[in-house]
Amino acid sequence: MSAKRAKQAKTQDNGLLMTKPMRVRTYFSISAIFVCLVLLCCQLFRIQVLEQDYWQKQAVAQQLSDVEISANRGQIYDANMSVLALTREVCTIVMAPCNIRREVTREKIADELSVMLEVDRSTLYQQTLDSESQYKVVKSKVDKSVGDTFIEWVNENSLGGVFRIVTDYKREYPLKNTLSTVLGFVGKDNVAREGLELKYDSVLSGTPGRMVAAQNTYGDHLPTSLQYEYTVDATDGNSLVLTVDQYIQQVTDKYLAEAIEEYGARNRGCAIVMEVDTGAILGISTKGDYDPNDYLTIADPSTAEKIALLAGEEQSAAIVKARLEQYRNKALDFYEPGSVFKIFTASMGLEEGLVTEESPFYCGGMFHIADRSMKCWVHPNGHGQQNFITAIANSCNPAFMTLGTRVGTKLFSKYYAGFGFTAKTDVDMLGEQDVTSGLYHLPESISQVDVAASSIGQTFKVTPLQMITGISAVANGGYLMQPYIVKQVIDGDGNVVSNTQPTVKRQMISESTSGRLCAMLENAVSSGKIANAYISGYRVGGKTGTSEKTETKSEEDQDQNVQVIASFGGIAPADDPQVAVLVMVDEPQRSRSGSAVAAPIARKILKDILPYLGVEPNYTEAEIAGLDRTVPNVVGATVAAAQSTLKASTLSAQTVGNGTTVVKQVPASGTSIPKGGTVWLYTDNRETQTATVPDFTGMSVAQTTQAAKAAGINVLLSGISTTDGTPAATRQSIAAGEQVAKGTVITVEFTYTANIY
Amino acid sequence: MAKRAKTSQVKQWFSAPKNALSSKGRLFTFSTGFDMPFFILLILVLAVGLVCLYSASFAYSYYRNGGDSYHYIKRQLIYALLGVAVMLVVSTVDYHILHRFAWWIMFGSWGLLLLVMALPTIQNVHRWIRLGPIQIQPSEIAKFAIILLFAHLISQYHQNMKDPRKGFWPFMVILGVTCALVVIEPHLSGTILLFAIGMVMLFIGGTRWRYLGLVLGAAVVGAVVLVVFLGYEQDRIDVWLDPVGVYTSDIVYDSGQTGRDAAWQTVQSLYAIGSGGLMGEGLGNSRQKHSFLPEPQNDFIFSIVCEELGFVGAVLIILLFAALVWRGFVVGMRAPDKFGSMLAIGLIAQIGIQVVFNLAVVTNSFPNTGISLPFFSYGGSSLIMLLAQMGVILSISRQSKQQEGG
Repeated sequence: MSAKRAKQAKTQDNGLLMTKPMRVRTYFSISAIFVCLVLLCCQLFRIQVLEQDYWQKQAVAQQLSDVEISANRGQIYDANMSVLALTREVCTIVMAPCNIRREVTREKIADELSVMLEVDRSTLYQQTLDSESQYKVVKSKVDKSVGDTFIEWVNENSLGGVFRIVTDYKREYPLKNTLSTVLGFVGKDNVAREGLELKYDSVLSGTPGRMVAAQNTYGDHLPTSLQYEYTVDATDGNSLVLTVDQYIQQVTDKYLAEAIEEYGARNRGCAIVMEVDTGAILGISTKGDYDPNDYLTIADPSTAEKIALLAGEEQSAAIVKARLEQYRNKALDFYEPGSVFKIFTASMGLEEGLVTEESPFYCGGMFHIADRSMKCWVHPNGHGQQNFITAIANSCNPAFMTLGTRVGTKLFSKYYAGFGFTAKTDVDMLGEQDVTSGLYHLPESISQVDVAASSIGQTFKVTPLQMITGISAVANGGYLMQPYIVKQVIDGDGNVVSNTQPTVKRQMISESTSGRLCAMLENAVSSGKIANAYISGYRVGGKTGTSEKTETKSEEDQDQNVQVIASFGGIAPADDPQVAVLVMVDEPQRSRSGSAVAAPIARKILKDILPYLGVEPNYTEAEIAGLDRTVPNVVGATVAAAQSTLKASTLSAQTVGNGTTVVKQVPASGTSIPKGGTVWLYTDNRETQTATVPDFTGMSVAQTTQAAKAAGINVLLSGISTTDGTPAATRQSIAAGEQVAKGTVITVEFTYTANIY
Repeated sequence: MAKRAKTSQVKQWFSAPKNALSSKGRLFTFSTGFDMPFFILLILVLAVGLVCLYSASFAYSYYRNGGDSYHYIKRQLIYALLGVAVMLVVSTVDYHILHRFAWWIMFGSWGLLLLVMALPTIQNVHRWIRLGPIQIQPSEIAKFAIILLFAHLISQYHQNMKDPRKGFWPFMVILGVTCALVVIEPHLSGTILLFAIGMVMLFIGGTRWRYLGLVLGAAVVGAVVLVVFLGYEQDRIDVWLDPVGVYTSDIVYDSGQTGRDAAWQTVQSLYAIGSGGLMGEGLGNSRQKHSFLPEPQNDFIFSIVCEELGFVGAVLIILLFAALVWRGFVVGMRAPDKFGSMLAIGLIAQIGIQVVFNLAVVTNSFPNTGISLPFFSYGGSSLIMLLAQMGVILSISRQSKQQEGG
């Protein structure tokens, strides 16, 4: 400013314009504001440019919903592609009570939704009252169809702001308990927990995809053009095809469960069917098991009852324990095999030429070695003089201990390890444990006494799976296989991803030793010693076992017998073995011996599955004579003609009525009927005569036949060997007291009461 | 003048000086043009503000108004047009007429501030008076009242401003009463603004440094005592010092507010600003406006601007504001008299201070007190009032002495 101007400004001071100091202070004020703005720009620079990554990262984390797209989990199929495990898409229904404003709505939700979703009305109502909450799960794992109905309901009532539906997955096991201890299960959280589901989780689960989308705090996708999404598709999981055949599995399940019930087994049992040439598991059953669809429930009613009586922590601990127990595959638990192991002692002896079929053995009821005396199971009696074949059939302990001492420590250990008892079988199932040194006698420390005891299957432990793998080796010509249960891995389109090839681990005995041993095992059955395993027309070989569980004798057992494990290991057909069966029942209460408890189970299983596997029956002459007949059709024929037709089938006729032609017959044509059975023929339309089914339980064969004849019904005798023995009726196909038409065929099962341990 | 009797002095308070009206003595002036740069800058700021509001409120409006994204922008456009009309009308009025209303407007605003305390609260504070569809903030009127009255009194006492009895205490009493009435609403940001504007006007008006320093010092000490020793507004201070820390902590304040809630707005604002980077996400592409950042159409509109337009866009807008403020000061300095100068400077200082505070809050340079951004934030009555005040500046510019000022 010029001096003149300044002067002018001063003269105008009392007048109007701003004075110089005012101007100075004005500039100062503007500067202050500008300085502030510059500082703020610096602050913006710091946040936007220098710290951009830090803020942007956090912002993006909340702005983008990163949703995992679940890969469809593969199925599990049996050998014939029946579904054992599948994944179903379900939905979870979520409510945001914070968006409910009116009481009417609450009432409506509680009333209508509780019915639709089958939830408790008052619980649901309480949920609607939580006006703070944005996320309340009303019900999870709802069927897709219910979900669709629900969506309709939501739309009708304009409750889109209150409810959300979330897609979820549910693993289902259509056959329920079948194979449950092998399959395992996938938890409600879609995490595989047990069994094949866990073992093959990476194969089954596939690779999940991702969908990244911009979102707002309400979790919705953006409504504007801002929508931003990218998707990485999920790769679906592959499916497993098992070697297990649903039919064989269910047969195995059924007979094992029946026996466990019948004999009151306290500690479950298991049964395995294996294809001897490959080691493929055709059926593997543990009972009691559980339903993987409902894996949290304790399946065993008596255990559940006991747990219900407990309280607090004790109860929850018991629940956890009981669950783990029911999930456990018993085929992989260690047990003392007992006399079934004699199969292996015998193969050692035969293979090494230390014994032949005719080698003599003497049993006085006791075996003495070093300073020890060990009893035979017939003690105080003895088996006396016997050859080796008979010794096997007798399951004679002194004979096998004698043989064991001949085999000696070195060879015994070699064969013991060779048959696979010192290592895992490497089966592709979950739960196989390491064979620790405490479970058997180590080669460096085994004594002759140990060998003697081990020869009869005592003082060491193996798993049922190791046993049946070993038995298969004995039966298939000496080849120890690696057992397996997964036959194939296939992709979603059914293309084979991988095939399991049978793996031979080693040959332990020669083909000829194998053949000789099978013949001896068949003899044990057919000679009538293990009559309960006998099947007419099929050559079954086998060995029973009954091992005492000395170490688990509990307090409540003090005044009782020592608990046992009854088992049976068998092969069929003995002349060309195809399958091996191992059955073990842990702590049976109503009977003890392997021959009484386990052998009948094996027989029933084999009887059903051998024809299924296409094994042709091969009857002996005696068997043919005793074979059951099929009832011919005689309706419409004259009485005389009918009688002669029946006679030709060695059946007799009982005629009712005065007519000349047959108008009705009982039993109907095609029914199996025993040789010499009676067919009731009606010549007019009168009512069918009925009879009351007698109670056959405990009767002998003769008593049963007589009682049936008296009642006017036919009985098919099941489980009868043609040879000697004293079987007793244990089970009948129609319950006692039922009214049936005269002539009806009832199957009565017999079990031989003579025990072989 | 100092020797006059008290009665005449009081009379003088209410009267206009001799040359209260322009030389021509007319109330309305059309003949001379107003300051075109100021007008253009203002229209530019307003237009940019409207565009930003449109984008920032788009999603918020969608969620809040049943899918209507245009709820806020429609209304704001109407208010803006109305406001510009009011501004143009006001610009034709000779501002000297305001001398006569200076005290009445002050008294009136005090009355409204008392009235609002008697009315029921809106959002828990006595801040708004609802008149049909519009809401009036008495504190906004109080700001104008203080500017006008201070301009009036400074122009009267300009020779005696160094005398604390004339140039300090009367002002302090007026400012103190007004601030007290606003702070009890409670309206902390309004109080701070009033105080700041008052101080700037006194400073330019010629009050001695030492008195202003004293008041400023007292205010700072008072604030420190309140905050540090009495724990007043502890949550806001905590958030200011460590927003992310509070946000992620499980602190629960006495009010029952969690740390996450307390820090939510500040943190979301920083997320938005930080996400913008140098060049921004592009106009309309903010993600933070999708229900993350509360009040994106109002106090925190600038965060969205930063996110969408980036550092470059933000600085350009700040420059625009700076230019507007600068030109406002120029108008003030070219005013034909001290009343016009002080009035224009007070009004434009108000804009400048408010911009500074708003940016300081959204960047967390200052604790979070709700201060809106002039011409950007949504609010009809406040926009019209702002534009009317800009009309006063334009009116002053019509009589400016072209040769003066920077």
